[in-house]
Amino acid sequence: MMAKSTRLVLASLLLVGAACARQESTSAPAPGLRIVVMAPSAAEMLGALGLSEQVVGIGDFVSEPRQLAKLPRIGAFDAPNLESVLALHATHFVTARQVAGSASLAKLRALGIQVIELDTSTFDGTLLAMKSLGAELGAGDRAAALVHTIENQVAEVRRRSLGALRKRVLFAVGREPLYVAGPGSHIDALIRAAGGENIAADATSPYPQVSLEAMLARRPEVILDSADNRPGLPLGRELGAWAQWPFLPAVAERRVYALDPACISVPGPRLGEMAQLMAKLVHPEIFGEATAEELGPPREASPVTR
Amino acid sequence: MTALGALVLVLLACLLLAASLGAGRVPVLDLLRGRALDSAGAAILWQVRLPRVLLAAVLGGGLAVAGVVFQALLRNPLADPYVLGVSGGASLGGVAALLVGLGRAPGLMGEIGVAGFAFLGALGALVVIERVATVDGHLAVYTLLLSGAIFNAFSGAVIFFVQSIASLEQLHAMVFYLMGQVPSLGFAHVGAVAAVVMVVCAVLWRMARDFNVASLGEESAAQLGVDTERLKRKAFVLGSLLTAIAVSVAGLIGFVGLVVPHALRLILGPDHRVLVPVAFLGGASFLVLADLMARTVAAPSELPVGVITALIGGPFFLYLLRARGGAVNRG
Repeated sequence: MMAKSTRLVLASLLLVGAACARQESTSAPAPGLRIVVMAPSAAEMLGALGLSEQVVGIGDFVSEPRQLAKLPRIGAFDAPNLESVLALHATHFVTARQVAGSASLAKLRALGIQVIELDTSTFDGTLLAMKSLGAELGAGDRAAALVHTIENQVAEVRRRSLGALRKRVLFAVGREPLYVAGPGSHIDALIRAAGGENIAADATSPYPQVSLEAMLARRPEVILDSADNRPGLPLGRELGAWAQWPFLPAVAERRVYALDPACISVPGPRLGEMAQLMAKLVHPEIFGEATAEELGPPREASPVTR
Repeated sequence: MTALGALVLVLLACLLLAASLGAGRVPVLDLLRGRALDSAGAAILWQVRLPRVLLAAVLGGGLAVAGVVFQALLRNPLADPYVLGVSGGASLGGVAALLVGLGRAPGLMGEIGVAGFAFLGALGALVVIERVATVDGHLAVYTLLLSGAIFNAFSGAVIFFVQSIASLEQLHAMVFYLMGQVPSLGFAHVGAVAAVVMVVCAVLWRMARDFNVASLGEESAAQLGVDTERLKRKAFVLGSLLTAIAVSVAGLIGFVGLVVPHALRLILGPDHRVLVPVAFLGGASFLVLADLMARTVAAPSELPVGVITALIGGPFFLYLLRARGGAVNRG
């Protein structure tokens, strides 16, 4: 107890110092929420929950919603700059659950900042995270509505693809060496919901490095390749480097899609749309072809209305 | 020479085994029965698996020979191909190439850009270290060792800096580049690498007698008519060249260049006329087997081959050391 109160005193001294330092530059800070968000997935959730206005600082890798981009950046998500967090008068610190950096999180908690760690490593975990984030920030109803919408979208996709043959799908996230979406990733869940079968489902981790020959031997019928995200590359039905394996059904039938990782790599409020997109890629005969625009970076998402 | 023959057979067996096994099942036995493979099987065997197996053999052999040469040059049992700074230069070059996006450049630059940059980095390190270690026209072995170690530490720090400013995807690529793994290149690239490595190893084999004499000490060697200055310089440059090629192509694969030469020296004695060719065959067999395990143990996932070489090499070497009475320094 003693140690804790000492730390609190120290913290408040620091806060006073920080407040004095910035008194001239801004008017009185708005009362209530001041959120620092480190993880891209969490930032998208805050946007969808209508809390973008309350965000005062972001992590280095946050790119959506775009209105946050001009806010101060306070480090990579495993290495927040603690002084910057304090200088921003943050009340809440939202990040993805992680293995490293827990010392910084303990420090932030000791300084009286509410730390929210979200487990977005799986599809179901992401939905739960969205609900708990909403509950913590007084937007529980919106979060519940959002999750409900996503669940409906996914259920609809699942229902419509139910009668179709399972297609063998390979989702590449990196080439040379070959990295794919494996079991436990939200992409794996999306593939299954869309009536596909992830050919790397028996690998050892969510984003494993896999043997090229094993993937070739499993003859994917659909290849989704988000490995190359250089701007300006054509998206859509592009064989790319896969053209050198003409015996693959996916290549023979030209079911190889180049897509921007931003359209599907961040689990969050767009999961429902991602399921619809995945369905178009796996079963275009049911859901229609995806447009090149859908395979690019996301358009500005609009917050859910009450 | 019987040892040489035996190891040729071992290498052939390893190559056959590694060519027949993999994560994608290919009925290789059908080939022997005269039946053709289907198009998938043929592509997996000829375009994916075989180039990788052959490259593993060439790089493993090159690393082991580099180890023999550096242990002879430095007369230090801890010497391995990575001790003289060249690997640091290569890693730095490769990581820098990934930072500027060469790994994803179109065409030839994307294919060999990273390896090419790594090789340039290695050559740069070689030149710098050679300059630093040349005192009054002589290559000073202890200065060489120290400057190599310092250069590695320095490039390690620069690599950390580069990683700290890299994007998440670049960081991922860098970590896996440094971790070490045998890529699946085209046959033309494998052939080019093999040609250079074999020629360098052959030249080093021809120098074997001089290495034997030099192991008596520089003064005695000079009295016996060996130009030790020239020998040291050639050993350093050629050994570094082998290391540079291996690190550029496959990253830092540890233990091959340390354990294989020592193990063979413990078994066959310190004669470099035997040791150089035998180390090539042994290193080739070892890396081919280790890469086979990396490809298959956790299939369809792959493991970094450096993990396997260390997991097998470390305990095996300790066993050998105890079994043979700890006589490492005999060479």
